[in-house]
Amino acid sequence: MKQRKFLKTATPYLFIMPWIIGFLVFTIGPLILSLIMSFFDWPLTTAPTFRGLGNYIDMFTKDKQFWKSLIISLKYAAIFVPLNMIIALFLAMLITQPVKGVKVFRTIFYIPAVISGVAVSIIWGWILNGDYGVLNYLLSLLGIKGPKWLVDPAWALLAVIIASAFGVGTMMLIFYTDIKNIPVDVYEAASIDGAGPARKFFSITLPIITPTILFNLITSIISSFQQVTLVMLLTGGGPLKSTYFYGLFTYNNAFKHHKLGYASANAWVMFIIILLLTAVVFKSSSAWVFYETEAKNSGAKKTKKKKGGRK
Amino acid sequence: MKRKIAVMCVLALTGTMMLTACGNKKDSNDGKTSDGKTAIRFATWDVADDVDAQQKLVDKFNEEHDDIEVTLEAYGSDFDTKISAGMGSGDTPDVMYMWNYPAYADGLEPLDEYIDKEGDDYKNDFYSTLWNYNSLDGTTYGIPVGFTTHSLFYNKDLFAQAGVEEPTDDWTWSDLQAAAKTIEEKTGQKGFAFQMKPDPYDFEMYLWSNGTAYCDEDGQMAGQIDSKESQEVFKMFQDMEKDGYAIATEKNGTDEFRAGTAAMYVYGSWSIASLNEDGMNYGVAKIPSFDGKTSVSILSSSGLSISKDSKNKDAAWEFVKYWTGEECNKARIGMELPVLNSVVESEGIMDEPEYAPFYEMLEQSDGHTPASFLIEDWSEISENLSLSFEQIFNPSSYMDVKDVLKEAADAQ
Repeated sequence: MKQRKFLKTATPYLFIMPWIIGFLVFTIGPLILSLIMSFFDWPLTTAPTFRGLGNYIDMFTKDKQFWKSLIISLKYAAIFVPLNMIIALFLAMLITQPVKGVKVFRTIFYIPAVISGVAVSIIWGWILNGDYGVLNYLLSLLGIKGPKWLVDPAWALLAVIIASAFGVGTMMLIFYTDIKNIPVDVYEAASIDGAGPARKFFSITLPIITPTILFNLITSIISSFQQVTLVMLLTGGGPLKSTYFYGLFTYNNAFKHHKLGYASANAWVMFIIILLLTAVVFKSSSAWVFYETEAKNSGAKKTKKKKGGRK
Repeated sequence: MKRKIAVMCVLALTGTMMLTACGNKKDSNDGKTSDGKTAIRFATWDVADDVDAQQKLVDKFNEEHDDIEVTLEAYGSDFDTKISAGMGSGDTPDVMYMWNYPAYADGLEPLDEYIDKEGDDYKNDFYSTLWNYNSLDGTTYGIPVGFTTHSLFYNKDLFAQAGVEEPTDDWTWSDLQAAAKTIEEKTGQKGFAFQMKPDPYDFEMYLWSNGTAYCDEDGQMAGQIDSKESQEVFKMFQDMEKDGYAIATEKNGTDEFRAGTAAMYVYGSWSIASLNEDGMNYGVAKIPSFDGKTSVSILSSSGLSISKDSKNKDAAWEFVKYWTGEECNKARIGMELPVLNSVVESEGIMDEPEYAPFYEMLEQSDGHTPASFLIEDWSEISENLSLSFEQIFNPSSYMDVKDVLKEAADAQ
């Protein structure tokens, strides 16, 4: 009897066991190990030596590249995140319009998000090439002499941002599904009140999808700090280290310079930065994110109070 | 990009390190296969067709030896990561391809004793320059397998079109500049291409050719990289670019050369296959010299090393001998330039105009040790140098040669 009871409670855990083992061995284990490593001088071929907070102190006091890379990554995030969201929202609005062939456009907009980062990097390497790239050819048709995108440090970061906006499709899809879920009667009511398309967008669509905006904001902040594939393959951190992102800095410390301990410390600092940024966004969200359920509840409370007042 | 990729890389690596470390203890099979043969693991960095060709050579070795079973492990572009991880966890393949001796020497078996046992003739059959590139601090860690030097590639059609005489082996850089200028004027294509962001390891050959180096024997850069001779070299390349008849390329220059937009460039033998495939009308000559000094080329060499942790070093050496011997050298022609005098002679390689200059450069490049073997933190220094060079050659910065080199020397 007892055994049966045990089995009953244990069964669900047995079913998720493969996942739990995987999670412990491949996620939690390495995560803890990397935290431990960050307190060591950990070269690959010889034995590691403990150095306390040495890696962290070096990073903040001695390593100029750490600050430079951090600033580059912040700059990238500051431009990429809003730009990406605006483009995604714009495309999502486009594909919700009742136009013929909208399904085709939807597919076209989404396809780039399916392509692997490596392929995207190679494609943009060709598009952006200063001498025989497609982009500069198109610009030359307009009579504009395009810059050497990947050679001129003034343009390279922008080039990377343009290339990464290529993967906007996923975010667009999330916006799209949310916009599609907005009840039509809300718009109809607005039309009767004489609201134009712009008014409808700002007063109905935008407030209703704020939870989705929050979600997209957080995920894109995280992914922008983790950007490494594109710069590694498209620019190699150049020209003149102008796109030497924090992720690339960490990667090179680990696998080019074989300083695994230092690189682990780099990664943990980035982790903390992302954590803080996410926390800030979450905190601020109560000021601008609108949850329908919340509004109903607080509305109900208010009416109750009024009733109480009449008494 | 869903999670922190960089972290994941570190994590994945440490994860595998843990796993392999655990796994290793359990199945310590003292290097025997199930049927009692000595098992040798052999790691290569090659990919695709080259691996197939290598597998055939490995199969042949296994057929000839009843007591040794070699398995080929093709690591491809992950080679460095996997070898590093292997060394970290004591699970290195017995035999492996190797080039970056300063980084890995701690995990490799010194081979001098093995070589001495084979006698002088064995050692002397290899081109002597190559030994220098397969050892560190006087200890040999690898047996040469392949190499390339650099030579000057030129587009015969563009030379004919501009009415300029083709490069000869006694060319100086002034000859090259004059020719490049004329080609640019007559054809509108660039006369010469060089890399905007050269690998510092490669670029040191020009400093050697002008009688200097990145650093002295103790690895000190001050007084060497910022010397007058060194400045001359960088200034010359920068001036060629500023004058408009040379172009600093984003990649290695092969694209521009193949497209016919650059008439000359200096590169290793790697591009020969693709140039032949294009059916391009090109020639190869030795690198021009700085006013009569001997021009020197860097060597990109590969060797075969044995792991320090290998349990069957004698069997591993047996395989190394086979892999670096005449038969395999011959079999690899087309993939690698042979490293044995006897093979180069018997196969008449010196009669092939596109290959001969690489051997001539090899012979006149003895006696130089790359900075990567002398400077301790080379991988970081190299990254900084790479930035310095780009500051000099990138047209949007064109920084002053003297200042940049001074700063590079001071930063060490």
